[in-house]
Amino acid sequence: MLQYLIILLDDTSYSYCHYSDIKTERRLIGLDTLKRGILFAMKENLNIQFVYPDYELPEAYREVIDSIDHTDIKPSAVSDGADVVVVNGCRSLEQMTVDIGVSYVLRTDKSDLFANYRLIMEVLTQATRVNVVLTDVETFTDDDFAGYKRVLGELSENVEKLYVGGKTPQLNILTDRMMLDRMNNCGAGDNNLTLAPNGKFYVCPAFYMENETNDVGDLDSGLHVKNKQLYKLDHAPLCRICDAWQCKRCVWLNRKTTLEVNTPGHEQCVAAHLERNASRELLSNIRKCATFLPEREEIKEITYLDPFEIKEQW
Amino acid sequence: MIGKDNHQNGWLTGQTKSITFIVTKDCQLACKYCYLVGKNSKERMSGEVAKQAIDYIIAHESDFLEESVVWDFIGGEPFLEINLIDQICDYIKIELFKHNHHWFNSFRFVFTTNGINYNSDKVQSFIKKHKSHLNITITIDGTRRKHDLNRIWKTKEMEKGIMPKPEEERGSYDDVVKNIPLYLSQFPNASAKVTISSADISYISESVLHLYSLGIHEVNINCVFEDVWNEGDDLRFEEQLTELADAIIDGGYYKDYACSFFTEHMGKPLDCKLQNQNWCGAGRMLAVDAAGNFYPCTRFAQYSLREKKAWIIGNIHDGIDQNKLRPFLTLDRCTQSNQECIECEVAEGCAWCQGENYDAADTPTVYQRATAICKMHKARVRANNYYWNKLFRKLELEGIAKEEAEKHVKKSNPEIC
Ligand code: SF4
Ligand code: SF4
Repeated sequence: MLQYLIILLDDTSYSYCHYSDIKTERRLIGLDTLKRGILFAMKENLNIQFVYPDYELPEAYREVIDSIDHTDIKPSAVSDGADVVVVNGCRSLEQMTVDIGVSYVLRTDKSDLFANYRLIMEVLTQATRVNVVLTDVETFTDDDFAGYKRVLGELSENVEKLYVGGKTPQLNILTDRMMLDRMNNCGAGDNNLTLAPNGKFYVCPAFYMENETNDVGDLDSGLHVKNKQLYKLDHAPLCRICDAWQCKRCVWLNRKTTLEVNTPGHEQCVAAHLERNASRELLSNIRKCATFLPEREEIKEITYLDPFEIKEQW
Repeated sequence: MIGKDNHQNGWLTGQTKSITFIVTKDCQLACKYCYLVGKNSKERMSGEVAKQAIDYIIAHESDFLEESVVWDFIGGEPFLEINLIDQICDYIKIELFKHNHHWFNSFRFVFTTNGINYNSDKVQSFIKKHKSHLNITITIDGTRRKHDLNRIWKTKEMEKGIMPKPEEERGSYDDVVKNIPLYLSQFPNASAKVTISSADISYISESVLHLYSLGIHEVNINCVFEDVWNEGDDLRFEEQLTELADAIIDGGYYKDYACSFFTEHMGKPLDCKLQNQNWCGAGRMLAVDAAGNFYPCTRFAQYSLREKKAWIIGNIHDGIDQNKLRPFLTLDRCTQSNQECIECEVAEGCAWCQGENYDAADTPTVYQRATAICKMHKARVRANNYYWNKLFRKLELEGIAKEEAEKHVKKSNPEIC
């Protein structure tokens, strides 16, 4: 069921996810489009998440935005009042003032992460939540997976110390899986859609950035998501049997790598399973020192990193 | 050289890989139902592309674990490229041998041809050379009037998009039928492949019987999957099949002749857990075209598609992108079916073609089943029920129990593609 509407305020709104910021020319959403988007969300009972560019919006926009309860996703350059702050690359964490109550999205690629992951630990000692988004996961090779496993292991040791010491910051790639009891994916096309500055709806911002003709409706004619069942978990043969519940199950990456929105590529699955397994270790290590999440079951040991490998057993 | 033992190396016992070479997109005919919307006389496969495709496949033996292989040659009309095909077949044999490949001695060369140049010297010497590894199917649609309704000669004007008037059309029946005796003398167990579209319905019964009379004992016959059906076609289809059922049973043909329209295993509801397998083999097959691109099946090459972009899974230089095969290899019946199909009382035996599903889908997906064939399947089920009820009763009256009936009826090996 649709629950969220993401509104891109400008073509240069910062990416907070896997897709790149490919649009470089500013195109601020029309004030009227913005008002109509908000009205649409109110009538459909949707929570709104605004995604900001890196410049200050005119006052009139701020007033309209404040007319409704919402979440603000902002780049660090204009982070005042943000609920979620997006930073690109681990190095940007160095100069950042951390605000409790704000979630941080760190967009990073393999070379940056493998070289600078220790910077994440410093932020975690102060922040409540850090979301790591791998922007090039589809290019990971076996060597990269080995590197990612190592990084997860080292981060995990540090997170374990924080938890045992009584601090419980969230780091999506390590702590989400142990907190969850079912799939919690991105949900694009299923529980959320995106409104772009052109007044059209998209499955997620990535589909808009890639090609404006990917729209699934507009403010005049409403939504028409074709084959919308394919965005749901029960129509994803691999994901519905999977227990890497923290995985984003990125439908945009799915389409990019396998040509189908409901089918993940090998790399997304392996990365998510390395996280799942690291989370398993972490949970078990914390429990050696303290009672922790007693209502949650152990995360099972599994022998595969990609559910595709066990498809014959379904 | 000692061949590899197929049972001890992790090969997929009993499974056969189908590898299709689209050797040419040219054909002498311009059949009206032909799904090859982008046929042209320019794209021919070069020997070099064919070699590189074979080299890739043989070098990646661990990605091709099926116990045996069918090397399938299609067009257009494959025998237009008989020299190239001969070279390819020689090359395959030599390379399989050189690499001690597990397919050495476990391969066949398969052709579907319009049969027109079947008796040419080149085709005949090819047949002699490779006979022990060959399967050839000649497409003949039935009686002259049924065959000539669709299978007409191509004209120069057609290539420019100018279609001949009906009275100017030249059918190909005589040009094919003259080769049938030679064909049957070389392949006595050969089957015929017949495709039914809306205009052919009235000729089904006479056509199947005609093929039997030519000496063909097995007729594989299918309705096209495309959305070509008109109001009332299902009832006319049912009538034809009922007439055919009467003719086959009353004439006693069922003992030695088979027609794939009639099968005992059809027309029951299906379970989404126990009977959830995909129908079509796309993705488990491989096709390669003149440009050296790989496809999950030929129906995903651009020349076969009306609406969608080609579904390319790799090429002879970069190899196969396994991610692009995942949707096919995880596809099941219920995930791609709508609720009506899932709940259908007569779902068993209702076929689909993944390529047509993709081409007809609302978005570029193989996960939306096209259902243009629905009413034709239901009509077929009714006629099929009639056939078996009548046949079992006849056998019963002759003193043959239902459980014994199998031994008295020739079975068909239906192919859907
Ligand atoms: S589909 Fe979801 S996870 Fe993927 S890029 Fe879009 S918002 Fe991000
Ligand atoms: S790990 Fe793979 S199968 Fe599991 S939810 Fe993620 S994308 Fe789907």
